[in-house]
Amino acid sequence: MLNQSMQVNVIIFGQLTDITGSSAITITDVPDTDQLVRQLQAQYPGLASFPYLIAVEKEIVSGNTILENNYTVALLPPYAGG
Amino acid sequence: MQERKPKNIFVQGPIAASFIADSIRKHSSKTGIGGHSIFLGQVRADIIDDKKVLSIGYTAYEEMALEKMHTIREDIFARYPLTCMHVYHSLGKIAAGEICLFVFTSSAHRKAAIDACEETVERLKAELPIWGKEFFEDETYQWKENK
Repeated sequence: MLNQSMQVNVIIFGQLTDITGSSAITITDVPDTDQLVRQLQAQYPGLASFPYLIAVEKEIVSGNTILENNYTVALLPPYAGG
Repeated sequence: MQERKPKNIFVQGPIAASFIADSIRKHSSKTGIGGHSIFLGQVRADIIDDKKVLSIGYTAYEEMALEKMHTIREDIFARYPLTCMHVYHSLGKIAAGEICLFVFTSSAHRKAAIDACEETVERLKAELPIWGKEFFEDETYQWKENK
């Protein structure tokens, strides 16, 4: 394929699944986490009002992070284990 | 230091008293141990807005949680002279009164086991990506928050 698009696998947990209605979403052509969040919030406006952390490839990131093809990005609302 | 591989901590359903008893029994051959410390987390029937919690449905980002737990385990072993540590957390629906968390530390002398057990419980509650959905009597739910 000449025009290969890049895709990112977004996995969603806890109360955030009540907003997205799904626990896994594929997003194409987002180069970094800032743009990913912007696109997700446009698609699911309710996301903007909930606190959550972002993990890229199982590592929590703070600040904008570059994404690569087939990366997994997780949206993690506050933990409630134990 | 000895390299320890990531262990699975997740159990489907509640943690049975017999499982805990077996786990204790298995340590009788480790005669260097002088003290065990055990923490058991039990699902509480909280009353929230006049509604009683019947059960909690636990879900986790398992892969990330196991990596994180591995780091916690390494940190705790580096800080305390433990003989061993075992951690189990439930997934799925756990009824009020059932056990959902089992943390078990052992050492030659009590202090290390007690302190390591407490620190492990505090850290896993704060650091493991696990979520709980509290189900009420009327089949509504809310997402649990750790205090």
